[in-house]
Amino acid sequence: MQYDVELKNIKKQFNKQDVVKGFNLQVKKGEFISFLGPSGCGKTTTLNMLAGFLDPSEGELFIKGKRMNNIPPYKRELGMVFQTYSLFPHMTVFENVAYGLKLRKKPKAEIESRVRKVLELVQLPHLHDRFPNQLSGGQRQRIAIARALVTEPSILLLDEPLSNLDAKLRVELRDELKRLHKQLGVTTIFVTHDQEEALSLSDRIVVMSHGNIEQIGTPNEIYNQPKSEFVHTFIGQTNQFEGNIKSINGSQIQILSKDGVVFNTVVSDSRFQVGESVNLFIRPESIFLGKEHNNSLDTACIQGKIKLVTFLGSITEYHVAIGDHDLVVRTQQPQKEWIEGADVLCCWNIENQLLIRREM
Amino acid sequence: MEQTSQLKLKAPSKLEHIIFSKWVVYLLLTPALIVLIGVFFIPMLLMLVQSLTDEQSNFTLANYALFFSEPFYWGVLWQTIKLSTFTVLGALILSYPVAMFMAQSKGKIRAIVTFLVLLPHLVSVVIRNFGWTIILNDRGMINTILLEAGIIDQPLRLMYNELGTVIGLVDSFVAYMILAIATSLYTINPSLYKAGAIMGANKVRNFISITLPLSLPGVYSGIVLVFSLSMSAFVTPTLLGGTSVKVMPALTYQQIMFTLNWPLGAAISFILLGTTIFLVSTFTKVTETKRYKVVFKS
Repeated sequence: MQYDVELKNIKKQFNKQDVVKGFNLQVKKGEFISFLGPSGCGKTTTLNMLAGFLDPSEGELFIKGKRMNNIPPYKRELGMVFQTYSLFPHMTVFENVAYGLKLRKKPKAEIESRVRKVLELVQLPHLHDRFPNQLSGGQRQRIAIARALVTEPSILLLDEPLSNLDAKLRVELRDELKRLHKQLGVTTIFVTHDQEEALSLSDRIVVMSHGNIEQIGTPNEIYNQPKSEFVHTFIGQTNQFEGNIKSINGSQIQILSKDGVVFNTVVSDSRFQVGESVNLFIRPESIFLGKEHNNSLDTACIQGKIKLVTFLGSITEYHVAIGDHDLVVRTQQPQKEWIEGADVLCCWNIENQLLIRREM
Repeated sequence: MEQTSQLKLKAPSKLEHIIFSKWVVYLLLTPALIVLIGVFFIPMLLMLVQSLTDEQSNFTLANYALFFSEPFYWGVLWQTIKLSTFTVLGALILSYPVAMFMAQSKGKIRAIVTFLVLLPHLVSVVIRNFGWTIILNDRGMINTILLEAGIIDQPLRLMYNELGTVIGLVDSFVAYMILAIATSLYTINPSLYKAGAIMGANKVRNFISITLPLSLPGVYSGIVLVFSLSMSAFVTPTLLGGTSVKVMPALTYQQIMFTLNWPLGAAISFILLGTTIFLVSTFTKVTETKRYKVVFKS
């Protein structure tokens, strides 16, 4: 199978520092992929290597099956939208959008009709005579999107395109991106540090930190089955237990938490040994409250006392005291008997937990 | 509970209020204003009056009429404009690459180049022009090398003509052009080049479509600066132009110091001033068209 984008063990070093440490990814045609991570995680560097502004120190890069190492950006047939809009200030909207077509020496009539079409696509058909400094931020970014799409690029690269916009516009343009992607089906790589943007737009998310890929998965997988501590803590909210393994019985593990609470859980592999320090992560949404254990093997439970109930409209948040520790639980179906002071059993599906050895 | 500290804006003290009041600002401007009025505006006004009066102190346009009826004077004005134009062209060609280099370099290197560009200005223009005579005269450095190498049999005439004058003027004023262009290149957002490249433009194309048009404000102000300075240059045309090159400032000097015809000298200097203002403002009007105004002035 031919992928639209394929990165094979891509590495990048600046001044002997590893900025990207072995990036492997295959992107199918029409996929919307996000690179998500904090600043300095290597996401922008990877995008710049895709665009051709940087050369990988190691590894191979393919676009539409063609090896792209050492091919300059102007020969890659890509479209790109930048955080700072990067419209040419001395050209009108029309000239900005037409620029790529002019470089490709398209006939005048074709340029005009294609520019008009793409400006309609971003819902700004009436602005072609304006200069960028006569437009609002949101309009500028729409024009920049139109400019990137007009050449019908094989891949669309988005470098934090929403970061310079205010909150309301950001959501508006995010929806716009989603609509455009649905309508055009262009393979898209989107770099962002905003988890909400990544979760709402992507087919798959690549979570990165310190030059490593932490996890690749659908927004659902990334959110509900985080594979590393970083993904757990960087995306959404999470509960963390520190403890030691008290006993192991097959896949059953008994954990003694730091503040003296003992509970059982199940792991699918047997990487652990008795006495090891471990961290357990579980999201507030993954926990359900109940009265008794359903005795199913893939459920872990822990006994606690409700300390605080906060009604947040569509959801209700409970703080459940477990030892000296508070477990945050969120649910859309609150029960009448779950009041402050009530004893409850907090359970979760072990699929949603992350149990890892604690680095000392 | 953690106490959140609140940012309090301090009310301006009475002293601050006095220091920043309008009247104090005017008061501080007064010394400069007095000097400017005393040694610039009033003498200028006196010169203007002198250029418009005859020996009996009657109003007359005779001095201006004399200038415009005499082809010799016309020729001097034309030569002044011509030399200034060539100086602008020379400075433009030499300075653009330097400005580009400065814009592409960072930190220390940029500071060093800026220093080197300004370094010659630490030496007086007279000394620098004498330096050029050592290089350019018939037995100067260039001619000696070319003669010794057998490339020429007769020394080239490199000074005491228009060429020598233009070389000297370019040397005097090229720094202004470099800094004006470099300043406008500094403001170009580097991601524009990325945008250009991703749309299919190679480096040459990026230069033509992005660098060049966006550097125009600097180029224009460099042209205006160098042109006005060259129009009023006196030392260089005198030292490197010799007797064959006559420019308006030298003509003014001659009328006032030797011929002692102050009214004509005054008229010549006002014709020079008027010509410079006219050419510069016409240039500005032509270059700053609608697009330029929208992009660079708003």
